[in-house]
Amino acid sequence: MKLADMIGTLRENLKILRTVMIVYLAVLIVFDFFLSREHAHYLIDKIYAYWSVFGAVGCFLLIKFSKGIAHLFLAKDEDYYD
Amino acid sequence: MNSWLHPALFFFAGSLLLPFFQGKAKKAILLLIPILAIIAVALAEQGVYGQYRFLNVNGVFGRVDKLSLIFAWVFTIMAFLGALYALHVKESGHHIAGFLYVGSSLGAVFAGDYFTLFIFWEIMAFSSVFLIWYQRTKKSLDAGFRYLLVHVFGGLLFFTGMMLYYGKTGSFAFNSIAPAGAGIAEYLILCGFALNAAVLPLHAWLPDAYPEATVEGAVFLCAFTTKTAVYVLARGFAGFEILAIMGTAMTVFGVCYAVIENDIRRVLAYHIISQVGYMVAGIGIGTHLAVNGAAAHAFAHILYKALLFMGAGAVLYMTGTAKLTRLGGLYRTMPLTMIFYIVGAVSIAGFPLFSGFVSKSMIVSAAHQEGRLWLMSFLNLAGIGTFLSVGLKVTYFAFFGKGEPVQAKEPPANMLWAMAITSLLCFIIGVYPDVLYVLLPFATEYRPYNLPHLSEALQLLSFTGLVFFLLLSKLGPEEKINLDVDYFYRKGTALFLKFDEKVIGVGDSLWGELYRTIGLRALFKSADASYGFDQKVIDGIVDGSATSTVGLGSVVRKLQSGRVQTYIGLSLMIFFLVVLFAVI
Repeated sequence: MKLADMIGTLRENLKILRTVMIVYLAVLIVFDFFLSREHAHYLIDKIYAYWSVFGAVGCFLLIKFSKGIAHLFLAKDEDYYD
Repeated sequence: MNSWLHPALFFFAGSLLLPFFQGKAKKAILLLIPILAIIAVALAEQGVYGQYRFLNVNGVFGRVDKLSLIFAWVFTIMAFLGALYALHVKESGHHIAGFLYVGSSLGAVFAGDYFTLFIFWEIMAFSSVFLIWYQRTKKSLDAGFRYLLVHVFGGLLFFTGMMLYYGKTGSFAFNSIAPAGAGIAEYLILCGFALNAAVLPLHAWLPDAYPEATVEGAVFLCAFTTKTAVYVLARGFAGFEILAIMGTAMTVFGVCYAVIENDIRRVLAYHIISQVGYMVAGIGIGTHLAVNGAAAHAFAHILYKALLFMGAGAVLYMTGTAKLTRLGGLYRTMPLTMIFYIVGAVSIAGFPLFSGFVSKSMIVSAAHQEGRLWLMSFLNLAGIGTFLSVGLKVTYFAFFGKGEPVQAKEPPANMLWAMAITSLLCFIIGVYPDVLYVLLPFATEYRPYNLPHLSEALQLLSFTGLVFFLLLSKLGPEEKINLDVDYFYRKGTALFLKFDEKVIGVGDSLWGELYRTIGLRALFKSADASYGFDQKVIDGIVDGSATSTVGLGSVVRKLQSGRVQTYIGLSLMIFFLVVLFAVI
């Protein structure tokens, strides 16, 4: 299988993959600085890289909150209702 | 008036035909019926058809306008894809349940009055439950019964509201309701609809039942019930503020559970709540752009969610489990399934070039335009959770992961074809959104592809990806189930059984004791008494009457002289006696 081999090669070269991804994220942020803010109505439209920070913080909070509440009282053994 | 052929008719006719065919003929019918229905939808002209009068009710079978047509389009397309995916299923009953379910959903979408809507609403519940029961496990049987009970409850809310509404207005006409004039009747109808849309806290039936359905049935289930509810909410309750708030709450609630669930189909089921939340929120915001967004998102969602359920179903079908804790490394053995699943995942996450981007962003933009920045923020937070749970978590732990690769093969060809076509549709809508926008209920100038939008979406999704890989060790799936509000009725019934055993049961045995000590003694006494009565009184009478009968016998013997005159005389005498008694 070609696709499987390609994925296998990528997994063996995680360092390269990681570097590419970090460059990509940096480009995204830089790109946002060049975007016109002419039509911005609200404060959040004017802040640079607002959605990057929102994405990172939001994702962190979602994981912490969901896993936390699961471990606190939501999670039960699979035969709980039997 | 133009003639119009109700697309549902094909499905009802098909369900009658199916039992008589086997093999290739059956497969041909399974594919032909949805194609005929798609043609019927394509040929339909706007107007009102099929008006009838029954029990003083003015009913309408066919209200054909842009809002009902866009749902009919996606329902019939989905019916074809679902039938193709389920083509290998041998049991005709499964296909019949699927066809009745699709047909009644179409009936509900075209219904012009509450009465007609209610009838199709109930057929939907009772046909869809078989798609759960055909899984033939104890779990699916129980889940199916709970599903049915909850939907009967929702149907009763709707029915009560509908009757009160009739009392108030003297009509069953189903039209847009102004939020200001809504009373108890309208809100009861709203609750009935909201239950089918899995609005909190009436949502628990969905993640309870859908993961227990058959592999093929779940593909149907995820498409029709909630989206029919979205249609009726858009038709009747656009602009209700409560929907904007509850819808947004649903989006975040659904992804929180999707982050912690283990079974892929449970992740996806919770994710339906989240996605339907976007549509409900759009309906609640109520502007033309928002309602357009809700309709567009329903269309796009049906396709990519079905695609995800097809992918998850294929994994379950081939490996025997859909639990992330037991999967991993499937990219080696099921690469095609993986590609199709990932197309569904990037579509639902709203990546540019895929369908979720062009529909979800309409609702988010509508919130932004109306200055509802809190709503917008929570909708975007849910977008993060979507990519995190359905996109990254499931893909990583099922298809990659660290563990031993699970032995499996690609699923049957019909499943792969269904996934391939659905993937293609997700992609076409993503790159050429006008095919979807021309179907929308209101004219739109909306353009999803502009630089601020692209920047917003890519930043959100990419940084979600970054945090996912940083926190990967914290995200491992766990072999657990998570409590939800179905706890109250599942444990509630157990509590009732305990109450039955401990309180009613104790009362019952107390009563038994009481009966034994007092009742039985009284019974013996009364038996004694009645025995004595029997001996002395009854026997006396019986014996006495026996003696008199013997006496009478000798009299009768004397009367039986054989002479006709005597008989006639006697008869006349008896006749007069009877008449005499009758007169007196």
